[in-house]
Amino acid sequence: MVTTRHRFSDLDSVMDEVHALFEHWEEEGLFEPLFDRDKIQLMRLAVHEWLANLVQHADFSDRTPEITLDLHPNGERVRCVIEDNSEGFDLDVKLLDRMNGLDKYPERGMGLLMLNAATEFLDYRRGTNGHHRLEFSVSADDNPWLSIPF
Amino acid sequence: MTFSIEPWTEKTVVVHVGKALDFRNAANFKASCQDQVRDGIRNFVLDFSETGILDSTGLGSIFSLYRQVSPLEGQVVFASVSRPVQVVVQLTRTYKVFRQFPSLEAARETLQ
Repeated sequence: MVTTRHRFSDLDSVMDEVHALFEHWEEEGLFEPLFDRDKIQLMRLAVHEWLANLVQHADFSDRTPEITLDLHPNGERVRCVIEDNSEGFDLDVKLLDRMNGLDKYPERGMGLLMLNAATEFLDYRRGTNGHHRLEFSVSADDNPWLSIPF
Repeated sequence: MTFSIEPWTEKTVVVHVGKALDFRNAANFKASCQDQVRDGIRNFVLDFSETGILDSTGLGSIFSLYRQVSPLEGQVVFASVSRPVQVVVQLTRTYKVFRQFPSLEAARETLQ
């Protein structure tokens, strides 16, 4: 398994580009043999939810968006780092807000909670280069789940 | 918009979800389903056989549909659930809410 890095600057196409990458990685067996298809899908979902959040809500001011995606396979975990040049936000506060405010059969507010549930070591903070940096790991062993009010 | 709606009976339709149900088309999905409910449709079979992406917003639009038809004694069921969708179903435990069928034929036999 090898480390990969990809850069994106077009918010209109980033989702299609990322999903095309995951399809390519699956075909190439990038995460095998430890990661089965379900775990790859879980990582793909986590990346999707974060990028969807950036596309819909991030404040890039007048800057051209710069997003980088790094995947570092390491034994039974894949560490994922997504950097962006947006204004950022306090992820811990937002997660707490979402956890406490989720409706029954919720229509909104599940994205960050799904990201949190699907991953380990989730952290989002400003890096030394001034960009914001999301970091998380997905484990080949975990069987995560999210409690949604039904 | 990747989904399409196929009438089955007077009160039942199949929604062929297509490649993705996510934040990019969830509002359109919700509006189209609301139109169906206004026209008297109560049962929705969601065909996920071709679906590679179901995200939180897409799932939210399905919950919205569920909340709309449940008081009307309607149903929302899943059929031919693809692996990417099954991962979301397992993560969110929505198998407790939405009955799943292995195929459209199996859903048809049960619902008609």
